[in-house]
Parts: sequence; structure tokens; C-alpha cells
Amino acid sequence: MSTLQIPGVYTEQGLKTEDLVVNIGPQHPSTHGVLRLITTLNGEVVKDMVPVIGYLHRSKEKMAESRSYFQYQPTIDRVEYLSSFFDHSVFVSGIESIAKLKVPKRVKYIRMITMELNRISSHLLWFGTFLLDLGATSTLFYAFREREEIFKLFEDLTGARMMYNYYRFGGVNADLPVGWIEQCREFVQSFPAKIDEYETIVTKNPIFLDRTVGIGLLDFDTCMRYGVTGPSIRATGIPMDLRKDAPYLCYDEVKFDVPVGTHGDVFDRYLVRMAEMRESVKIILQCLDQIPGGDTANVIAKTKEVEAAKEAAKAAGEDPKAVPGVDPDWLSVGQKINLLTYKPPAGEVYHVCESPRGMLGCHMISDGTAKAYRVKWRGASFSNLSVLPELMIGKLYPDLMAIFGSLDVILPEVDR
Amino acid sequence: METPENDIQKAAIPEAPVNASPETAAKAPVAADIPSEPEVPATPVIPAGVFGSALAGAGLTVENLGNDVIGTEMVRTTVDDLLKVAAFLKDKQGFDLLLSCTGIDWKDRLESVYFLYSTTKHVYLSLRVNAVDDHSPSVYPIWNAADWHERETYDLFGIQYDGHPNLIRILMPDDWLGHPLRKDYKLNDPRLVWNER
Repeated sequence: MSTLQIPGVYTEQGLKTEDLVVNIGPQHPSTHGVLRLITTLNGEVVKDMVPVIGYLHRSKEKMAESRSYFQYQPTIDRVEYLSSFFDHSVFVSGIESIAKLKVPKRVKYIRMITMELNRISSHLLWFGTFLLDLGATSTLFYAFREREEIFKLFEDLTGARMMYNYYRFGGVNADLPVGWIEQCREFVQSFPAKIDEYETIVTKNPIFLDRTVGIGLLDFDTCMRYGVTGPSIRATGIPMDLRKDAPYLCYDEVKFDVPVGTHGDVFDRYLVRMAEMRESVKIILQCLDQIPGGDTANVIAKTKEVEAAKEAAKAAGEDPKAVPGVDPDWLSVGQKINLLTYKPPAGEVYHVCESPRGMLGCHMISDGTAKAYRVKWRGASFSNLSVLPELMIGKLYPDLMAIFGSLDVILPEVDR
Repeated sequence: METPENDIQKAAIPEAPVNASPETAAKAPVAADIPSEPEVPATPVIPAGVFGSALAGAGLTVENLGNDVIGTEMVRTTVDDLLKVAAFLKDKQGFDLLLSCTGIDWKDRLESVYFLYSTTKHVYLSLRVNAVDDHSPSVYPIWNAADWHERETYDLFGIQYDGHPNLIRILMPDDWLGHPLRKDYKLNDPRLVWNER
């Protein structure tokens, strides 16, 4: 040891040491958005971490108070752009519950199909970028290959690839295009083979296992304390899934399993998401079989038949209203309302659904005017991100991107 | 923009006192009490729900607000009893997950709303408390998830959560003026222009 002693902290070997504050972000490729992490490091070990959010705050909740419900609807897509069908679902079903609007069963099935496809596309993007964070570039192209097919289906259906704005109060914007169900079935049936392909590349890869097994352990109690939900909590071994626990839409009419992990580490979260995609495939295939009316060609043919029968009744001098119409469950809109001036009655509702990231909630208060009195979004990412310091403190800095990536945080949903 | 809401309020308020018809006025001071009596059935007593009656049974202050349109029970307590109610709900009623905390500006008062979920019973509960002078106790000791959610409510509504470990702004910049989700927040305040601050 040298005789010159500068005041400070010394290691056992007599080396002077000090904590290093590293500012990660707000612009950083691995943060999938604009997140800033003020990290205090002792060598490679994280001593403290303070997430700073709010860079993407676009005042979605304030905007709801100055727009009519229909005008507000397109902006919901931007709350969480990777799975915006879910945001639309909770918002639209909130209005439907307040106003007690009729929702045909066909609409519920269309919503389930689109939401599960959206879950697959969201998990695919997670899969690609998560491995990109770990340094594996090639999986991104595999994931985007299938994601593109889903986007093609969505584009046929809604006209948009990401910002769908497809659901309406009491229905959907337009019925499925003719032949869409077959296209969708074709894709969904071919998809499990693609998941096998991903798993062949990744699941037993020793480099991947080294980076993920036993890293970022999260137990059930910690999840409860921080409000972590979604695949992260299921990876701890607790089958907590709202689609099973408190079924909404027609989830009680389809059979599926809730995949769970065992240890709650990064690797388990990966396995849970991969298994969830397979379960989504099961759900979609059942929905495609069970959807009332089947392909839209059937619905159109039936509508024409009814119209012809009414014409015939009119010609015969009978009351055309006596002719039985199309089954109300076959319609794509339950009840026609003027969307631009629509005023739901006063009421309050809190709708929650199981989004790809966890429990997504929308709290809505209507005072009987055309604008909402209050809209509150509960994004799953908000709570999921808050657990990051707890997971990181005392752990190695190089594991940060593996752990953060495995939580699947979407920053626009955090900041809203 | 504000007129329809104001009209509703103005229409609702003056109803009660304007009942002094010549007949009742002749009956002198006793008559002054009469108009107030028929008003009691006008505000129907909301029956206590499952958790409302459980809370009342434990001797805690609780006001039943009925159910929302999909059947979620809503109860309101006071700032004095909030922590006891929260602990009771978590330990005895199994509400282990705090989904979100938010605020509502009712123009005459600020209300905090906690949404709770029970992972064993699969039910939701909306727990409310009216802030007193913009102050309310923090439920951070009961549910740590309240940390960020209460910071957000403080940021956007200005409700001060006493006992919160780190009550600073979370979504808005640290030097932001005012609390944006309040109904009296001015959107065109010139002080809010970034470059001039």
C-alpha cells in the first residue's frame, strides 16, 4: 500500500473506490421508449436505481374531458400502441355497461379474435426485441415475419396496421371482410409450427440460458406488493388470469389453459409468454369455429334472404314486420347510435381486462353530457415498471437489460 | 363548455328552500321544519354491500355508495379511519392487490379512489376517501404499490398524501405549476409556456 492516502473509501486491496452514477436514457435503444434510469454503481453491482418517467406524458386523461367520447376514441390507440385492441375493449365496454347497450355475440367473438391476435403480435414484438437486447439479432426477423402476417389480417379488417380504432359502442366499425375467417384460420393453424421454430433457436441455447436462468427472481409477494400482473406474476407459479378468474366477453365459452412458471426468473417469463401464444392460438381457433353466423358471406346471404322474404310478404299484402329477421347475434352492430352526439347516461364503471402486460383498467365517470367527467387508465406497465429498482438493487449491471426487457414495459402506457 | 354542467348544478340547488307557500308561512316557526322532513326519503338509503357491512361490523366508519354499473361495490371512509379500513380490507377481506389509486375533482372536494382486487375471491372494491384540505393519509404502509400511484395522484390532483415516503411529481416536470387534472386548471395559462419559464 502506498504511503499517500487520499481520503475516501478503500477496498480490501487498498484501492481507492467510489460509487459511480450512470444516467441511462431517456434516449436509449434498450428502454423501448423514453425511460431514464439514474443508476448508482459500485463496480458492476447496482447500488441504487431511480426510474424517471413522464417523458411521454400526453395527458390522455385530460384530453378525455374536452372531447366527445367518439372524438376521444382514436387517441386511445396511442395509450398503448402495441396492443391497442385491449385499450379499446375496456373503454368501449365501459360505455356499453353505463348505457346498457346491446352487444351482439358476433361482436364479442370478433373482439376476442382480434384481441388474441393482438396478444400474439405483441408477444412477438417482445420476443424479437427482448432477444435483441440480449444480443441475438436474428430472432427479430423471425418474429417480424409472423407479425407482418397478423398486420395484414388487421389491415384487411380495420384499414390500419397499428392504430386500429375498430370497436364502436355496441359493435364494431364493419363486419369481417368476406373470406377473412379462412385467412385467419390459415395463419393461426400454421403458427404453432413457427413457435416451435423460435423455441428451437432460443429455448435451449446455452448463451441464452446463461443470461436468463436464475436472473431477476420475482416472487408472488413482491408482485403483490408492487401490483405486478400479467405474465410476470404467472411466471411465479400463480395462475392469475382475468380471462379465467373473472371472464369477460365470451371467455367462459372457450377452453384454454393458463401457463405458469416455477421460479419467476427471466427464463420463466420467456417460457410463459411463448406458451401464452400457443394458448391464444387455441382460443382463436375455437372462436373461429363458434362465431355466430360464421363467415360474412353467410350473414350477407341470410340478410338478402330476409329482405326477399319481406318483399314477398309486402307483395302478398302481409305485414313485412312479421317476417323473422336476421338473428340479432349475427349482427356487427347491436344498436345504431349517433356517435358524434352520443350522450351516455350518468354512471360510473371500472372495467379491467387481461392485456398482454397484465391487468389493464379503465375507470370512467359519465355525468350525462357528451364528454366524460373523468377517465383514468390503469396501465399494467406502470406497476410492472415500479418493481424494477427492487429487482436490480444488489444485482449485476449487465443483467439490467435482461431483467428490464423481461418485464415487457411499454413506456407510452406508463406515461399515458 | 361549462354551461351545461353549471345549469344542472344551479337547477339542483335552489329547489329545497323555496317551499314557503302562504299556508306553511301562517304556521309560524314550527313550519320552518316541515319542508326539511319530506326530503329524507328523497335521498334513498343505499343498502350496505358485503364489504360495507363487514367494515361496519368491525366498528369502522363507512359510507355505502352502492354498486357501479357492473356491480363493483363502492364504499367511502374518512381520512381518520382510512388506514384501519385499508388494513382490515387487506388482512381480513383478502384485498391483496392495489390496482390503482386515482383522484376525482368534484369541484367542491377532492376524492381519492383506490381500486382493490382480491386474488383469492376475484372481486373488485372501490375504496374512496374525501381529502380534508387537500390532505389524506397514504396507504403506502399497507400496499406498497401505492407509491407510484399516489405520486401520480399528487402530481395531477394536488392531494397531499401524509406519510408517503417520496411524494414528488412523477409525470409532469418537477417545476410544473398547478395540478392539471383539477377542473379549475387553466389550460391557457401563459406561465405554462415552457420557453418563458
